This record gives sequence, C-alpha cells and structure tokens, in this order.
Amino acid sequence: MSQEPILKIENIKKTFGAIEVLKGVSLSVRKGQLKVLIGPSGAGKSTLLQCINFLVTPDEGEIWLEGQKVSHHRKRDLYAYRQQVGMIFQDFNLFDHLTALENIKIALVRVRGMSKKEAGDRALAELERVGLRGHDHHYPAQLSGGQKQRVSIARALAMDPKVMLLDEPTSALDPELIGEVLAVIRDLVAHGMTMIMATHQIGFSKALANEIIFMVDGQVMDQGTPEKIFSNAVCARTREFCSKITELYGE
Amino acid sequence: MEQLFFIQYEILPAFLKGLKVSILLIVPSAICGLGIGILAGSLRVYGNRLGAGLADAYVILFRGVPLVVQLFIWYFGLPYLGVYLTPFAASVTGFSLCSGAYHSEYIRGALLSIKRGQMLAAQALGFSKFQMVTSVILPQALRRAVPGCGNEIIYLIKYSSLAYMITCIELTGEAKILASHTFKYMEVFLIVGVFYLVLVSIASWFLRLLEVRLSLPGFERHRM
Repeated sequence: MSQEPILKIENIKKTFGAIEVLKGVSLSVRKGQLKVLIGPSGAGKSTLLQCINFLVTPDEGEIWLEGQKVSHHRKRDLYAYRQQVGMIFQDFNLFDHLTALENIKIALVRVRGMSKKEAGDRALAELERVGLRGHDHHYPAQLSGGQKQRVSIARALAMDPKVMLLDEPTSALDPELIGEVLAVIRDLVAHGMTMIMATHQIGFSKALANEIIFMVDGQVMDQGTPEKIFSNAVCARTREFCSKITELYGE
Repeated sequence: MEQLFFIQYEILPAFLKGLKVSILLIVPSAICGLGIGILAGSLRVYGNRLGAGLADAYVILFRGVPLVVQLFIWYFGLPYLGVYLTPFAASVTGFSLCSGAYHSEYIRGALLSIKRGQMLAAQALGFSKFQMVTSVILPQALRRAVPGCGNEIIYLIKYSSLAYMITCIELTGEAKILASHTFKYMEVFLIVGVFYLVLVSIASWFLRLLEVRLSLPGFERHRM
C-alpha cells in the first residue's frame, strides 16, 4: 500500500472569535479507505469536516486532492472541488421544497448541466442504490429520518464524488433507523468509496474503519487501527473516552 | 327610480371606464413591484456590500417618502430634468418603486427564515451563490412571503387611487369628477368604495388560492 493519498490535509487551523477550534490538524486518506473521527463534542470534528470542503474557511493549512493543491480563492475552482467531495450532514439538510427525486436531480441539472432526462435517470438509479425506489415523489416531510439520510447520501453519490465526508450521519436518528443508514454506508465501503466519517457507532467503526482518529480540543490526540484505539490504547484519555462511548453506544 | 337611473346611466359607465384604468395601473405595478422587491430583498440578504448598500438606500428612500410626494416628483418634477412621463407611466413607476420597497422587506424576512443547513448542503454540492439563491432559497422563501407580499398587493390596489392626483383618471378620479358635477357625493363615493371592496376581495381570494396551490407537504396552512 505505497499508494499516494487521494486526500491530504495539512496543519488545518481555525479560530472562531477567541476560541481556537482546530489547532493544526493533519490527516490523509488513500483511495477506498474509511477513516473514522471520534472524540467528545466540541473536539472540532464537524469544523474539521466543514473545513475540508471550505464550508468553513480554514485560517491556515493546505488541502490536497489527488496530488493537486486545492485553491479556494477562485470561486470556479472552489465549486469544482466541492463537486468532487460529497458531504453528508447530521440533520440531512434535504431541500424541503423538492421531492426525493428532485433533491438528487437539481445539482445534476444546475451544477453539472445535465439534461433533465439524463439527471432523472441518474437520480432514479441512485435512489435504487439506497433502497428508496418508490419514494421518488415524496417530499422530505413525508420521509422518515433514515429515509431522508439515505436520500441525502444518494444526492451526494449522484455527483460521483471522489471522497465523502460524513458528519455524524446517524446521530439524529431513532435507534431502529440507524441500521438502514449504516447498511448503505457499509455498501459504500464495499464498493471502495473513500470516506472520512465522524461517528459514535463503535461496532460499525471497529468492523469497517481502516483507521480511527481520536480528536480532543481541536487536535488529533491519538490515531491508529480500531484494535489499537479501542482495545490497546496507550493514551489514558483515549481509553477513558472509548470505554465511555462503548458503554453508551454498545459494541 | 331616479337614483337607479343615476347609477345605471351615469355612475356605471364612468366607473367601468375608471375600473379599466385602475386595473391597467395595478397589474403592471404589482408585477414590477414584486420583481423589484425580490431583487432588492435578495441583494439586501445575499448581495455584496455595494449591492446590499444600494438596496438598503432604495428601501429607506422609497419607504420614507410619502407616495403622493413620490408621484409628484415623477410627474411634475422630472420634466425639469427634461424627462416627460405620461400620467399613466408616472403612476406605474411610482407604484412599482414604492411597492418594491415594501415587498423587499417581506422577501428579506422570508429569505432569513430558510434554515442554514440547506445552504450548506447546496454549497457542498458545488452550487454557486447565485444558483443556491435561485434554486434552493428563493423557491422556499417566496412561498413564505406570499401572505406578506399579498398584503402589499392589496395595499397597492387601494393606493392606486392616488394616481388621479397626477391626472391619471382611474376609478377614484372618475368618481371625483362625477361627484363634483352632480353633487351626489354620498352615492358616488359609497359605490366607488364597493368597487374597491370587490377588487380587494377578488385579489384576496386569488392570493389564498395561490398560497394553497404552492403549499408543500409538511408546510401546509393550519387552522388553529
């Protein structure tokens, strides 16, 4: 595995007012890898993910996609870069005025410039992939939380992203709906999608993550394979946190 | 009997003529006003500093000066700068610009009510700001602005009566002329009042229909 990383971020720093949320975070991910971010709330996981596609502009640091340094200064470059990085949010953020199908179509038509027909076919294929054929014409308000999150995954997938960023995709869901969303993400792993995911789902992370990154106070405190982090952590803070979330979220 | 004669042969023909002018004033003013309002409201929320500043200045100016004074400026003032507007054109200009200033405030409120998460999602998909505003934010915000903007259109129907002040003889103008010729002020103005009431009722009905037609699952009108 001497492969070049598909996405590399270096020394990302971000300060909001007087609070330093990210104190220089670096990480890299190779094609097909799943990296899981864990850590207490306020650790900066969400901000880090949002910095990666410049929804939050980092104060310092560099981001490289497929060996190319990403420039966010020219809008055209920024928009083109974001199309290659899919983002999944904790609270889905579907467009309320559009049906499931239209939610997926709209970026294909407006951003990608596809014809409506072509975009519609692609959107249907993506809905099929997340198991939601038959819900094409439902509005977000008519879908369950798990279905909404699956539509949002389908919407991101339709853009053919090279990397996906998932910001606690199951945290807003009822326990019985978490499974259907994790099943879709598991399927993405199986198909070799490169992902960085913030989550508290221990069992899922243990089984599928290539690496766990433990963040505290805007810094990477510990990182390594799931076995190392969850079972044999050297760092006391890591052990403490892992035992706490294992207790809360189970295996 | 005489009263009925007066209504049938004097009031009605004059009023129908006036009504036609009123409608010709109201419809383009409502459309232009709404267009200006959407543009100004969007600029105020999403524009750069220059655009937002200009739109703010526009609203301060046109909300701050009485409409009659604005109409006088368009009709009596502009000729001093070599610009001659017909009474009709001056009225439509005045109404559209005044109405737009109020619309922009309703639009601004509606734009601000759209959850930030949807904007993040649009940006994350690679939307430009313009694409985000036009295909994600405005379609939702405009729905929420229907009650407010509808209110403004109803106001417009009534303040269109000011056009007669700059010699654009619409419904109220016809009434004023007829009343001063016949001295039947009570009859004439009561009936002209009914005409406006009917116009406003039709507009309200249409606006409610629009609201229902545009409503989305999960965001319907609820009767409390």
